[in-house]
Amino acid sequence: MTAVILDGIVLGLQFGVLAVGLTLVYGLGGVLNLAYGQMAVVAAIAAALGMDAGLPAGAAVGVGLLVGGVFGLLLDTTLLRPVYRLRGEARVLLSLLLTLGLAFVVDGLLTWQLPLEALTLHIGGGAVEILGVPMRRGSLWASGISVAVFVSLFFFFRGTMLGRAVRSIIQDEEGARLVGIDPNRMRTLILVSSGVLAGLVAVTRSMTIPVTVTSGISITIFALIVTVVGGLGSVAGAFLAGLLLGIINSVSSFYIGTFLTLIILLSAAALTILIRPSGLLGTPE
Amino acid sequence: MLEVRDFSAGYQGNDVVHDVSFHVDKGEAVMIIGSNGAGKTTLFRAMCGLLRASSGVVLFKGHDVAGTPAQRVVRLGMGFVPAERHLFPRMTVQEHLSLGAYPKRPDPETMSIVLDLFPRLAERRRQRAGTMSGGEQQMLAVGRALMSRPRLLVLDEPTTGLAPKLAHEAYEALEVLRRQGLTLLVAEQQVPLAMAFCDRGYVLENGVIRFGGTSEELAKNPEVRRAYLGVT
Repeated sequence: MTAVILDGIVLGLQFGVLAVGLTLVYGLGGVLNLAYGQMAVVAAIAAALGMDAGLPAGAAVGVGLLVGGVFGLLLDTTLLRPVYRLRGEARVLLSLLLTLGLAFVVDGLLTWQLPLEALTLHIGGGAVEILGVPMRRGSLWASGISVAVFVSLFFFFRGTMLGRAVRSIIQDEEGARLVGIDPNRMRTLILVSSGVLAGLVAVTRSMTIPVTVTSGISITIFALIVTVVGGLGSVAGAFLAGLLLGIINSVSSFYIGTFLTLIILLSAAALTILIRPSGLLGTPE
Repeated sequence: MLEVRDFSAGYQGNDVVHDVSFHVDKGEAVMIIGSNGAGKTTLFRAMCGLLRASSGVVLFKGHDVAGTPAQRVVRLGMGFVPAERHLFPRMTVQEHLSLGAYPKRPDPETMSIVLDLFPRLAERRRQRAGTMSGGEQQMLAVGRALMSRPRLLVLDEPTTGLAPKLAHEAYEALEVLRRQGLTLLVAEQQVPLAMAFCDRGYVLENGVIRFGGTSEELAKNPEVRRAYLGVT
């Protein structure tokens, strides 16, 4: 049981980071990015290609994160331009349709051109014992990186001027403009960070299981479920919901079966929408 | 300081204000009075760049800022306090004030000027804006705007929703700011209060400036007396 829960925490931390990248873009720009998983996959494949070309793992990961960021930048400056001209629900809907289309295109291109490419990062060394359970070093690295991401995000949002500026736009865009904050520039910043976060999750995931060219859709779905449960636009909510769902995921795949697990996770999301539509830590509109 | 010429603006092609012209000189306090729906808010929002202007010129410190987005107008030194305040509900007083100085670090001297002006804010530095009373929120909105050290402060109905005593206090605070050399432009429905405070004023009706003059002149005008001062 301890082993299963520890596995759940390892997964949950990654779920959390994954959801942050999606939820911030939604909170700030009113954009729901369904090509989010593809961002992660493109970053992972870039890193894998880098390693094929003989780059050391660290440098290859760097290339992957860079590619993720550039993906975000391109999305912000091209496909999302017409989306930003709309407001409210029309904006969410158009963003949903355009990014879903993009997801199909990216998936198609990848399975056509690089069907066998996948990112696997082997972290060497034997198992480390935690609470009497032997844990793979890859899992520990993945968790350590995820926790570090959360700590830095927390510091960024609470302690820096730029982080406060981002929060201010989520809370009142007009008020933010009145203190001299440019919402367009902040949106670009957040989309780039979202791409980097997606890439980072792909990297940490590949330390335990390979990330393949077809992983995109499942990454998007997990990110959506965690985001819904945690509350749109809430970093702390993403963290909490990630952990919770990660543990639920491990426990149910161990005791019930993998097939039913996705249904259980989706039910958790559905239940949240019914009982607490703004999510665990989201604020009602 | 500010000169507005033949300025028109509105929503989606329907102008609400038409060919408005007025000016505010350095050190002055000027009011725009008018009833609900006269176009005061539209005029201010367009002037400050929150709303697209359809035509005309807004000369501020010699630059034409008509059509410039609000985030840039603010940095040129025109602070705007909207009637709905647009605070950040889940941020503390302290966070509002430091964001007011964005992109710079908050200047301690300006911070102490603001906190001296509104001691209530000093007592509540850690309180979130969403949990504060209307009067405190108004103080915070003004305080936030002051943190960028504006040359001109534009206030849209600063007394909306305030009890008469608080409305008085709001104008007392503005009086302090004015003595410190700040130029002020105020839109107001509570005309007697604004009239006692401002040097000059303009009457806006149906999106058009009907007339302007010193506060004394306006106070003597029979139409103003009937429509805004409740004298028959």
